[in-house]
Amino acid sequence: MAERADDRLVRLLGLVAYLDGAGPVRLDELAGRFGVTARQVREDVDALWVSGTPGYMPDDLIDFDAYSLDEGLVHLTRARGMTRPLRLGTREAVALVAALRAMHASRPVQADPGRAAVVGSALAKLTAATGEAASAVDVRLAGDGDPEVLAAVSSALADARRLRIRYVNAADVASERDVDPVRLLTQDERTYLVAWCHRAAGRRTFRVDRILAARVLDERTESHDIDPDVDVTASVLADGGAGAPVATLVLASPARWVAEEVPAESVRDLPDGSFEVRLRVTNPAWLRRLLLSNAPDVRSVAPPEVAADVAAAARAGLAAYGEPARPAETADA
Amino acid sequence: MPPSPSVPPAERLLNLVIALVNTSVAMTKQQVRVGVAGYGDAPSTEAFERMFERDKDTLRSLGIPIVTVDAGGHSDEVGYRIDNDAYALPPVDLTPAELGVVALAAQLWSDKTLRTDISRAMTKLRAAGAGEAAGDAVAGITPRVRAAGDAYGPLLEAISERRVVSFRYRAANTGQEMTRHVEPWRIAARGGGWYFAGFDRDRQAPRVFRLSRITGRVRVTGAARAFEIPDVDVDAMLGERVGAERTAVLAVVPERAQAVRARAKEVVPVVGPSEHTGRTGRTDGRDVLEVPFRSRSAFADELAAYADAVVVLAPGDLRGEVLHRLRAAARLGEADRG
Repeated sequence: MAERADDRLVRLLGLVAYLDGAGPVRLDELAGRFGVTARQVREDVDALWVSGTPGYMPDDLIDFDAYSLDEGLVHLTRARGMTRPLRLGTREAVALVAALRAMHASRPVQADPGRAAVVGSALAKLTAATGEAASAVDVRLAGDGDPEVLAAVSSALADARRLRIRYVNAADVASERDVDPVRLLTQDERTYLVAWCHRAAGRRTFRVDRILAARVLDERTESHDIDPDVDVTASVLADGGAGAPVATLVLASPARWVAEEVPAESVRDLPDGSFEVRLRVTNPAWLRRLLLSNAPDVRSVAPPEVAADVAAAARAGLAAYGEPARPAETADA
Repeated sequence: MPPSPSVPPAERLLNLVIALVNTSVAMTKQQVRVGVAGYGDAPSTEAFERMFERDKDTLRSLGIPIVTVDAGGHSDEVGYRIDNDAYALPPVDLTPAELGVVALAAQLWSDKTLRTDISRAMTKLRAAGAGEAAGDAVAGITPRVRAAGDAYGPLLEAISERRVVSFRYRAANTGQEMTRHVEPWRIAARGGGWYFAGFDRDRQAPRVFRLSRITGRVRVTGAARAFEIPDVDVDAMLGERVGAERTAVLAVVPERAQAVRARAKEVVPVVGPSEHTGRTGRTDGRDVLEVPFRSRSAFADELAAYADAVVVLAPGDLRGEVLHRLRAAARLGEADRG
């Protein structure tokens, strides 16, 4: 896709402001700094070279030292007054400051005083440079997770040490496992630990609020060839992929968040304001929990086995509460 | 050297900026059309006018404001110029570790619009001479916020300019769609959802709207500076902090509901059969936990999901909410309900 004109303009002006008074700078260094290829920087230089003030006589144009350029060095010799770096626009300031504020307040950052200090000072400097416009957007990340667990995970990540965690899964089964932490991912409302699990011999994603205990071990982490960039919601719900069975739910409007927050195969609005959502379910325990939590807004469930399974769990629950009373179980009442 | 025809837009914009920064007083539109490389391409006066207006908007959104000045002299035409001081970034002296933090913050957004905005901010900071980024301070941390969607751009514009927005909105409780007219105050992301708070002109009251329930486009309407933005407590408006922390007493089957146990203040293991039985339900062979909570409905959602593994002994309203869910779930096995 062709680059947007405004993005390129920002870089063209940025190059001139940066190069002004900088002396000769290597082409590949510029490319690294501005996050583009060396070839793109070369094209930018060519564009700058023919730009300037009306008239466009040689003295009107931005100029570079041609001999340096032959040696891969960019040396600006005339800036035509474009020496001041651009201030941040409102939208840019908002995107930057809101992100830093959210990070600063997040548990993984607050769990480590050194980390919190660095984020705090970056935030203070940028807020001073951008002014107050940035308060238009206010983002808060997950607040979950035991501080002691987060502190252990943080220090294991920083020191590249193995962790022993006690973890409870969606089916409420707890187990102990040794993991090599790769990444602490805060995505929306939850924090996840992406790690190599030695018990499963593969990459696993753990919800931090379900890690009951974590201890840093002496062993160093091994390097594993795994992709740390993971779509957590998808991996938690749909590890089984396309072969998993599909469940179809009709939900009343107040449960609309299900359609908004769960990766669904399809969502269809119905005339009365309710809606039908089709989910590919690889984890029956997860679906049972979802339906129990939201039962008052569930109009129908297909296939019928799923409905029967949920209803059986609910009847067992009601029995535990003693209502409907089952005399055999409350014999001494 | 006359400018060659068909100058790429980025280079036309660049030449406009250079011309308006270097002009002694100001340039008229006609001077821009004739003199600045790229504008000669416009086939008609109308096409030139459109091009120039669009370019002015683009530059303003990039933080490069074009000011209009009275050209003076014999002309009654307005002139245009750019003041260096108006667009310059004050020095931002970031340490390598701080720049590493900023680079990480740039990954926070899943949203394409916000990503564009923040990567442009990074380009500007790098041009201002910020050093090499060092990521050690925040190693292994990846914060991410889901995409806000198409409503974000127009809403932010409306908040910055304090203009009214109108949009079609699907109400959560009824599912009905209505057109709403709102003075937007602030955009907020909480618990995986994007919201905005503002003053609802139809209902004459402050309201919170969920961005994902907006259907169709958000239109920015009316005059700028149409209202004042008050101090907003978005959380209070969303009701998240409403209600103090309370304590629930739960009877939990041993080894079950581990995630709830992890938050318990007090655990009294395995109650004998005679102590708590009767109306409150089974406690025999169960641990009794005291667990703090704030949101009754969120906690009831969580506890109902454990079915028979957790029995709420107190408080009564939480117990009632859980029972309400279980009764509804028990009926799911019967015929479909309308």
